[in-house]
Amino acid sequence: MIQAEGLRKHYGPKTAVDGISFTVQPGRVTGFLGPNGAGKSTTMRMIMGLDRPSAGHVTVNGKPFAQHKAPLREVGALLDAKAVHTGRSAYNHLRAIAATHDIPVSRVHEVMAMTGLTEVAKKRAGGFSLGMGQRLGIANALLGDPQTLILDEPVNGLDPEGVLWVRNLVRYLAGQGKTVFLSSHLMSEMAQTADHLLVIGRGQLIADMSVQNLIASVQQKKALVRTPQSAELAAALAAPGVSVTQSAHETLEVAGLDTRSIAQIALERQILLYELTPQEASLEQAYFELTRGAAEYQSDFSMATATHSQATGMPGQPQNYKN
Amino acid sequence: MSTQTVNPAHAAASRRAAETGHWSFVGLLRSEWIKFWSLRSTLWLLVCTAVAAVGVGALTAWVRHTIFQQVLEQATKHGATPTGAQLEATVPPGSGIELYNMPNAGLQIAVLVLGSLAVLFLSSEYATGMIRSTMSATPTRLPVFGAKALILAVIGYVLATVTGAITFLITLAIFSDMPEFNLSWNTGGVLQGVFTGGLFVAAVAIMGLSLAALLKSSAGGVTVLIALMFVLDFAGGFIKLIPGDFWKYVPDYFPGSAGGRFLAIGHVDGMLDPWIGGLVLLGWVLLLAVPALIVLKKRDV
Repeated sequence: MIQAEGLRKHYGPKTAVDGISFTVQPGRVTGFLGPNGAGKSTTMRMIMGLDRPSAGHVTVNGKPFAQHKAPLREVGALLDAKAVHTGRSAYNHLRAIAATHDIPVSRVHEVMAMTGLTEVAKKRAGGFSLGMGQRLGIANALLGDPQTLILDEPVNGLDPEGVLWVRNLVRYLAGQGKTVFLSSHLMSEMAQTADHLLVIGRGQLIADMSVQNLIASVQQKKALVRTPQSAELAAALAAPGVSVTQSAHETLEVAGLDTRSIAQIALERQILLYELTPQEASLEQAYFELTRGAAEYQSDFSMATATHSQATGMPGQPQNYKN
Repeated sequence: MSTQTVNPAHAAASRRAAETGHWSFVGLLRSEWIKFWSLRSTLWLLVCTAVAAVGVGALTAWVRHTIFQQVLEQATKHGATPTGAQLEATVPPGSGIELYNMPNAGLQIAVLVLGSLAVLFLSSEYATGMIRSTMSATPTRLPVFGAKALILAVIGYVLATVTGAITFLITLAIFSDMPEFNLSWNTGGVLQGVFTGGLFVAAVAIMGLSLAALLKSSAGGVTVLIALMFVLDFAGGFIKLIPGDFWKYVPDYFPGSAGGRFLAIGHVDGMLDPWIGGLVLLGWVLLLAVPALIVLKKRDV
């Protein structure tokens, strides 16, 4: 379990993480989503004690990471595929890290077999491809069989097989009751892997909810309608809060009404519909919707409002997404 | 990646294996030891250093021998029989090339290489990102410095002591035809020189490690270390020319010359006594190591 409270980090005048609080629960895969520079990696580095928070604190399994007696058994992290000396072989790298915790060499061989590194064990890590480096980073994270796994962009550079393997691994580990916290830019990957999502934008937490709820929360009432009487129907549907656009011949896109209301109106006016399809938002759309909100919030609000918002949590729209 | 499925039995076995492990300083020492020797270049560098240090030492001894031989020939022509002490007097006192100092004749090479190796031992971790793996395994951070310092000090000490002893064995062989000196392991200052040479190298290694922690940069660390150990001494010759007594003594406190005095024995007028030289060198080590530890603890990795 990871618990962050009021976690903030600024580098000089630039604020990377702006006072976020969250809990990553054991037994499920928690995804960490956000655009580049949103503060994902900084947050993960603060969890690992590599960066000192400017304010707030974060604990892992009840204690700051640095205070654990066997840190590698508490948390395994892949923060950066390039956290390896380029001149050392994969085997020697893992052996050196394992030695700090008196982890036997047999475990080093195990994680190498698990991550498919056995064949390149004696090769210099500097010659590894991005995908190989990623596997070595994952092997490194698994060494201590940790209670909590933190993976920053784990599928970055992996082939499809590797992506599938990571997905199965994290789902298996979460099933074992472990805490799994992973960031990714691949929304489709998150939809298949994560149970729960934290969405971060401009250093602030925008959403903290299950994948299903997140999609539902952003989903607008939207429908695709095909009718030979498109102009007539458009006129009939017109109302405040409803937008109708003609996207193709005999095709309307209606936002702000559910499909049942549209069918009812069409029936009353004796308009023939030959297609009426509800449009579902994907996680990807939900994500863009949310992060665009964060960007707008940042540019539209004055500093005074921003300061106020730090005290009260999140102003306006983003608050709706908290549960 | 072959399509391994996660095998529960297998995972349980590995969990048991991993569960036996706890962090310990001894474990960290083993980790750093593995790191030190698992870079291909390390062993070669140390072997070359030892060969070069012994080579320079032997060369120095041979040059000394040649000069003494010429002096002896001249003296014999004039019917004189100078003693070893008189011959030694032709060398300026405190120059560091007295015969008892021969074990450390090639020491500067060991200082240069071990110091640079010490910088790289940490700075390369910053350069490659390895430091994040290291500090994740030891998040209290300071023991990492301690373990690296200990390993560098021991390796530096052993290297300097062994090369010093070999250099002196060669010196003994070269001077075996000059009974005037009666040179042996019992000659005053020889054994002390062998053992202090190692301490000097160990001290410089810790200075290099500290510079790496402060600067996070290989090039910066090595440059500053060479400036401190060699360039300062060179500049000292000019600094002594500045009018006023103060400037005459300042260069004696530079790490290179203070360390050099630490290897000597006996009092020489106008120079630091050996034990004060040792303390000054220790002062330099602390001057760099204490800020390095503070920075290592406080700064983001």
